[in-house]
Amino acid sequence: MMEKVLLKNLGKAGSHTIANYIAGGGYKAFTTALKMKPDNIIQMVKDSGLRGRGGAGFSTGLKWSFIPKDPTMQKFLCCNADEGEPGTFKDRGIIDHDPHMLIEGMAISSYAIGASKSYIYIRGEFVFGAERLQQAIDEAYAKGFLGKNIQGSGFDHDMFVHRGFGAYICGEETALLESIEGYRAQPRKKPPFPALAGLYGKPTVINNVETLSCIPAIIEKGPEWFSKMGPEKSPGPKIYGVSGHVKKPGLYELPMGTTAKDLIYNHCGGMLRDGKPLKAFIPGGVSAPMLTPKDIDTALDFDSLAAKGSMLGSGAVIVMDSSTCMVKMSYIINRFFSHESCGKCTPCRDGTPWLTKVLKRIEYGEGRPGDLDLLDGICDNIFGRTFCPLGDGAVMALRGALKNFREEFQYHIDHKRCMAS
Amino acid sequence: MRGTGYAEMVTVKINGKEITVEDNTLILDAARGAGYEIPTFCYQADLMGIGSCRMCLVEIEGQKKLQPSCVTPVLHGMSINTDSSTVQTARAGVLEFLLANHAMDCPVCDKGGECELQDMVHKHGPHKGRHAEPKFKFHEKDYTLSPVIIKNSNRCVQCMKCVRVCREVVGQNVLGALGRGDHQEPTSFFKHFMNCEMDGNCIEVCPVGCFMRLPYRYKSRPWDLKGSDTICPFCATGCRMVIEERDGALLRAKAQLGVGLNSETLCARGRFGQDFVNNPERITQPLIKRYGKLEPVTWEEAISHINVNLSGLSGEQIGGIASPRLTNEELYLFQKLMRGVLDSPNIDSSVRFSPEAVEGFVAATGMAEGGVSVYDCMDADTVFIIGTHLSDENPVIDYIVRRISAARRMNVIIASPRAMKLDSSANTVLRHNLASENAVLTTIIIGLNEGKLGEALKGMHDAQLDANLKASGLSADSVKDAVKRIAASESVAIFAGTDFLRYPEGITGLGILKDLLKSRGKKVKVMPVLDRANQRGAWEMGVHPGFGPGYTQVRKGLGTEGMLEAAMKGELEALYIAGSDVASMYPDEDFAKSALSKVKFLIVQDMFMSECARQANVVLPGASHAEKDGTFTNQEGRAQIIKKLLTAPGKAKQDINIIRAIGESFDRSFGPKHFALVLDEIRKEVPMYSEVSLAFNNKRNTENKLDNRTALIKAAEAPSISSGQFAAARAEESGARFVLATGNHLFHSGRSSRKSETLLGLLKGAVVEISDTDASELGLKNGDKVRVKGTNFEAQMTLITKKGTMRGVAFLAENFDEAPVNRYFRRGKGIPRVDIIKTI
Repeated sequence: MMEKVLLKNLGKAGSHTIANYIAGGGYKAFTTALKMKPDNIIQMVKDSGLRGRGGAGFSTGLKWSFIPKDPTMQKFLCCNADEGEPGTFKDRGIIDHDPHMLIEGMAISSYAIGASKSYIYIRGEFVFGAERLQQAIDEAYAKGFLGKNIQGSGFDHDMFVHRGFGAYICGEETALLESIEGYRAQPRKKPPFPALAGLYGKPTVINNVETLSCIPAIIEKGPEWFSKMGPEKSPGPKIYGVSGHVKKPGLYELPMGTTAKDLIYNHCGGMLRDGKPLKAFIPGGVSAPMLTPKDIDTALDFDSLAAKGSMLGSGAVIVMDSSTCMVKMSYIINRFFSHESCGKCTPCRDGTPWLTKVLKRIEYGEGRPGDLDLLDGICDNIFGRTFCPLGDGAVMALRGALKNFREEFQYHIDHKRCMAS
Repeated sequence: MRGTGYAEMVTVKINGKEITVEDNTLILDAARGAGYEIPTFCYQADLMGIGSCRMCLVEIEGQKKLQPSCVTPVLHGMSINTDSSTVQTARAGVLEFLLANHAMDCPVCDKGGECELQDMVHKHGPHKGRHAEPKFKFHEKDYTLSPVIIKNSNRCVQCMKCVRVCREVVGQNVLGALGRGDHQEPTSFFKHFMNCEMDGNCIEVCPVGCFMRLPYRYKSRPWDLKGSDTICPFCATGCRMVIEERDGALLRAKAQLGVGLNSETLCARGRFGQDFVNNPERITQPLIKRYGKLEPVTWEEAISHINVNLSGLSGEQIGGIASPRLTNEELYLFQKLMRGVLDSPNIDSSVRFSPEAVEGFVAATGMAEGGVSVYDCMDADTVFIIGTHLSDENPVIDYIVRRISAARRMNVIIASPRAMKLDSSANTVLRHNLASENAVLTTIIIGLNEGKLGEALKGMHDAQLDANLKASGLSADSVKDAVKRIAASESVAIFAGTDFLRYPEGITGLGILKDLLKSRGKKVKVMPVLDRANQRGAWEMGVHPGFGPGYTQVRKGLGTEGMLEAAMKGELEALYIAGSDVASMYPDEDFAKSALSKVKFLIVQDMFMSECARQANVVLPGASHAEKDGTFTNQEGRAQIIKKLLTAPGKAKQDINIIRAIGESFDRSFGPKHFALVLDEIRKEVPMYSEVSLAFNNKRNTENKLDNRTALIKAAEAPSISSGQFAAARAEESGARFVLATGNHLFHSGRSSRKSETLLGLLKGAVVEISDTDASELGLKNGDKVRVKGTNFEAQMTLITKKGTMRGVAFLAENFDEAPVNRYFRRGKGIPRVDIIKTI
């Protein structure tokens, strides 16, 4: 077992208080960082090979280096805590149990990019998390880790918790910025990228909770320690959130690149019910195309999954046994996407509900011959033509199911009933 | 997009053709410029791009995904395909999606036949639909948003142009989107609809039958309409519009994208007020007063009656007042008749403003120096708006300032006693006392004269400054800010409004400021902001007692006021009023009426039975702008054409023919016979107009390369305009709390718009506007019924409170029949004071 970094305090009583956090060596990294040059911190993060844990897997250090160096310019850091992808619950673990790790990571990151203000955009439903974060921020102010002239370094920083407005799209980084500014959460056109014109038109870095929580450890233990963990191209610890038909679902912090087999059969204790073997698993939240048992040896990291035509996404692994109806599952996932489509662009707004209506018919035994071709056709018209990746995600999930379980869909249409149950 | 002329050029390949365009040009603009059509829904050149409809996707070599051409700028060396099979499939796909939930009720849709969705599906669409699921419906029945707007969301394509035009151009923020995904609907909450300005720009930009005009509902199919390209006859902005008729009734007016300075926008009165021409109260035959009663006669009788009664009178005994809503050709002939045939120097086009004020204003704004384009003004570093409530008086200029000031870095300074919508786009608002324009300008002049700015303004505490600050009611800080912005600007555009004509003292300051800025090496443009469609044309055609056509020297005569005074003394035997309503516009109705009653022979030519017409000896039925050909000169100095669409009702005639008939009765060679020949004569006689062309329609495209400078009139050769000194305007001496400000209401222009049934439906009854501070001190609130009590008149009306308006100013529009504002005025007593009392 590796030494836990991100979830080390999970389940420890009082782990969210600043006293316990400091007792465990907390805020040391920040104090160290404040004595460093911001550029050196960015270089360290670059050297560590840390890639964004929100889904896209973009190099964090590189993202930071796009921020203009002009010290007179207002800059912002936004933490994306709008954890809304079905199956994903990893950030919540950090927010609820180790809020100071996030705050420390954000403070270091803000110092590195020169941001005097940062926002935590937390999913509206996470009332407990928002309260806990606010409490933690208040403690950090009281201890002088936030506010004016932090630790005598001359660095000023203010941090705000901003509760989200209840839409999945709020987690899209530019929609998140719109939402903080008080507008309707709809994605902005890129370019300009947020690094140049983000929140209120100012240079902005947007990072995921897990990404930012890695920062204190990188400062403390050095980039080599981080980059040696897991595969060379995507190193570091990773939280896998496993749900579905396994014996022990939950959060697992493992080195990046742990195989699905290891995760499901070793860490999670195997499939839930005997006689119901693995049918498929989604490796990274519902927008990631599903994989089948033949891909069980795939390493769960950015590049290995991309090679299999899927993606790591948020690292939310959903495991399904042989009792699962793929039509029903596709319908439910698609219903989610069409419900959450923001309405901005045509293909996603009008395409995803159409998919849902067709899937619903098939699921309820009202499928028509030609429906599968229709689904393929609609998918083709959505994919790659939407404004943001939401529509693409919906299509990828469905395409994955259609590719691997087409005969099951056909059975539904032909026999008006389910093959699996 | 307008080029700046300084951008770097890049070369790109579109469909294999190499073209060179300015760097940062959008792919869409580049392709359209090169002659390739790209379909769009959500793109509109004047709105910020959102790239949401996905109709404009194009293929860029080396990029995996199709890119939206409406938000993607070209890069050097880019190779773009706008019509590949992938692109075509994508377009068909988008259209299939748009039709999925579309209502498909084309047979009963007002938009049918001119619907962009129909056209696009016809051209690019899948000709077979695959959507066989139940459609999502927002509602069963269309719903009425306002007296002029009705909506069917089931037809919406979610381009959000309505929302964007409301926010970015109109600035009213009424519309927004509710709901998410396919439930997203551009609409608003009820209380926001109360703020709607009813301009209907949402209707104009809507590509489908979602937002529709209520007055036009089910009246016609678009292909049954006959249209003509014309100019709005209300304020002097000079918006181009198409008016359309069916079976002799004017049914709608619409603006066209890319045509005229207004492009696709119009204001409420422009879009919905044109139906005044259909009003059944139009006068349809000539009338002569016999035994105190007006009786119908033939045109021959009427003209010979006029001839007989005018013959034998000397020029000094005759006067002529023509409306600034007549065409240039009519006004030119009118002054030719007065000066040339009847030998009378007494001629005027302004009932409300004194001839001296007009001369001063013309000189200070430099109208004789030729036309100034509003878009050139918007290139300035600072735009300074003073003397007008721009948002109500010239709404389309308000739109232009809002849109351009949001898109580029510039200063907007607004000086006005009343709060206005455009204040939100201003960097500095100078809220000053009524009629204190001169004091405002003087404080700025003093500020600018304080030498280098940085150390600056410390000398600003001298007595003169204090006196002017006190007179204007401004704070030193706001003046400092304005001065700082003006001083730091290389170019300044001043928009000077009609308050300078009402309270001419400010003209002095305006002239000084203009000269001062010029002497500092700044580029200065002055734009007169006027409220009558052809006011500038009227002056330039010489319908003024002080100057002839092209501001030339003439024998000085009497202006409106002088004529009325002469009439009072019995010195004016005959008065010919063409289109003006002197009795209801002259600021002292009793005086005007009794003066008119003393005129022995009063000729009134009008569309409606006005107060004047009732007193007339001869009434001649004239025509509206929709019933004649001619040109209008807008406030910029741009001569634009109006085209005949309808025939005047009954025996009514085009004004130009009436004027000519009167002229011919004295001199058979009076003419020319046709408006185009009159324009030819104007071109010869008035050098300012030598290049005005009837061919010009202000539509810029790749072929004609017209830009906004074309069609502006030239400078006059040797103008003879004197700028005198003007006394300060005084307020009436009474203890009343408010001074009375007047001007046009947003929904009206003068009195002609009062004949529009649609506009009357927008606002029932007169309103008076005061600041919310005054209101709360008086225990009044918005919407209260109040009595506005002046020294010699009082009327009932509804109270409107406005946040930010100067205290002690009550605004009463000059448009309301039931509260004629000119009855509050008394000649020589200054600006009226009124009290506002709640009626129980």
